[in-house]
Amino acid sequence: MGSQRGLCIAHMYPELLNLYGDSGNVLVMRKRLTWRGLGCEVREFHVGDRPRLSGVDIVLIGGGSDREQRIVCDCLLKARRELVSFVQDGGVLLAVCGGYQLLGHSYLMGDEKVPGLSLVDLYTDRGSPRLVGNIVVQSRICAQPIVGFENHGGRTHLGAGVEPLGSVLFGYGNDGETGEEGCLYRNVVGTYVHGPLLPKNPGVADYLLGKALERRYADGALTPLDDGAELAANRRALEVGGAHRFG
Amino acid sequence: MGVRSTMAVGAGKLTHAALHGLLRRDASQLPGRVCLAMDPNAVAHLRSKVRQGSMVVCGTNGKTTTTNLIAAAIQTTGQRVACNRTGANMLAGVTSALLVGGSTDWAVLEADELSTIRILPQLQPDYLVLLNLFRDQLDRAGEIDHVQDTLAEALAASPRTALVVCGDDPLSWSVALRARAAGTRVLAFGIAEDLRLAPDRVPEARFCQQCGAELDYGYRTYAQLGDFCCPTCGFSRPELEFAATGVHVDALGVSFELARSGRFLTRVQAGFGGTYMVYNLMAAAAAAALAGAGTSALLRAIDGFDPHNGRLQHFAVGGRNVVLNLAKNPTGLNQNISLMLADGRPKAVFVVVNDNGNDGRDVSWIWDVDFERLAGRADVVEMLAGGLRANDVQVRLKYAEMRASIATSVADALVQVAKLPTECVLYVLANYSALAPARAELEEMERRHG
Repeated sequence: MGSQRGLCIAHMYPELLNLYGDSGNVLVMRKRLTWRGLGCEVREFHVGDRPRLSGVDIVLIGGGSDREQRIVCDCLLKARRELVSFVQDGGVLLAVCGGYQLLGHSYLMGDEKVPGLSLVDLYTDRGSPRLVGNIVVQSRICAQPIVGFENHGGRTHLGAGVEPLGSVLFGYGNDGETGEEGCLYRNVVGTYVHGPLLPKNPGVADYLLGKALERRYADGALTPLDDGAELAANRRALEVGGAHRFG
Repeated sequence: MGVRSTMAVGAGKLTHAALHGLLRRDASQLPGRVCLAMDPNAVAHLRSKVRQGSMVVCGTNGKTTTTNLIAAAIQTTGQRVACNRTGANMLAGVTSALLVGGSTDWAVLEADELSTIRILPQLQPDYLVLLNLFRDQLDRAGEIDHVQDTLAEALAASPRTALVVCGDDPLSWSVALRARAAGTRVLAFGIAEDLRLAPDRVPEARFCQQCGAELDYGYRTYAQLGDFCCPTCGFSRPELEFAATGVHVDALGVSFELARSGRFLTRVQAGFGGTYMVYNLMAAAAAAALAGAGTSALLRAIDGFDPHNGRLQHFAVGGRNVVLNLAKNPTGLNQNISLMLADGRPKAVFVVVNDNGNDGRDVSWIWDVDFERLAGRADVVEMLAGGLRANDVQVRLKYAEMRASIATSVADALVQVAKLPTECVLYVLANYSALAPARAELEEMERRHG
């Protein structure tokens, strides 16, 4: 990256974890750095690669189908120690949908309990029906509500010390019961708001970028961008989600 | 037919007569629903009305066009065909199509992939045509694995049905392998040469479904279709019963030569479509041949093909050419982008995305579309976003480095591009529920200002 300020993003298994347009998240982070005159390097890790995280600022784990998620989990377990020290060192990690489930101690695939990465104190079991629909979440990490779509059979349960990403204004969230959605642990964000989380939630994108810049340069300040289109889409999604009824 | 099914069919017909004859309303669904409410196995009973044979057409993209072409080809031979032409493709739509009129020679029916499990066991068609499988409406249809399971189950419940399948598609071919192992007769079609096209994105199936290794390709035609082979387990494109060679795809349309078991069958030419249309036409040609309709019947059907259903429909409004096409999933939109890039004329592009129930509520898929291919091109002079999720489209285009304004309708889009010279064509790419209103608007405008 030379003398220019910038960040390195590790995109984990993009060919497998891309169920719902997950590549949008990488694109948004890259553009929001570029538009600010900051550098951005994206390293894609594929099956068979050993994920080396030295020099990496942000790790992105997307969502895949059950079959694909299983392959990824086996790969990531081999790199668990590297991921643990990255997280403990304040590395930024965004895990979406299936990727979010991998963060915990275990998840269920069919009736089989599959061990996860144990990066965050949480676990996932299964419930019926699938929780599918638009979702709106109020979170302390950004001013606007987080909007998007969820589609999961899993029910995720947070350990006592783990903060949720936010509270559900509309939709289901972690388990459809507690009113909590996602997790927030050190600089790890996990969420069921799947696929392209960041485009309509520029506040979340900038939260992640800010934390990563702070870790690397001890200065997380970001020059503001014109987010007119993004915020209009956010407002539109609020209407679609029906959250205006809560406002 | 028993008393109950006779009454059910009578009630369905009465509904059809009332809707279609008296009220002049769309009768593609309700007659079937009425009939099915009284006799859930109505299709099994209506089957006896079909004298010659029946075929069902399914696949993520291209169903309606292919179904209409097959039906038209058989009709040109003077035979009667029952067909759900407007794309009402669940059990009620199929039932409605079979209800109308007396006996028929052929039934050519489009079916939603997941509805095959309800349609095939009752209809026991002679052929199931499987065009392709792409990711589409995950919130409604579930993952592709589920769609594949359903198709395999439907075929198992209809043992005399032969499967006509795209052998170039690893996802469809997986279904065929399972069906063949269970005794289904399988006929594959595909493109037997490298088209040397600029590759588009492969949104799915880069990995072997049998063993998980990354698939190798001798060549790719579009999306995951092509001459695939798994280096680990040997899962590969089958021998093609129907094979296209000498394929030309350009802005004016497509042409190719079709062979069956290595013997030249016919040359096919159509003034519409891109690479995906080669497959639709090949499937239609194969189906027509299997129905005994002969190749000249298909060629006549193609020449007369103008379904006015919003699929690649051309309009002229105030001296400007407008092209309307359906684009309801990443592969469909990516193919539309290929089509537009083959058209050298300056163009404005209006992308319309709704999120109604029949579209899928989830619009995440627009991030799997390679809009980046349109960015920075001199011939793409204006981008417009529309539909209930216009804002989402606008943001997607922004991150592809394109500034798009929002248009509330096709009329509004035409106003916004009025400043551009009339040589500049307007492409309107609409997803499922956005298509019919766009078409109605354009037909009305063409009538008034054409």
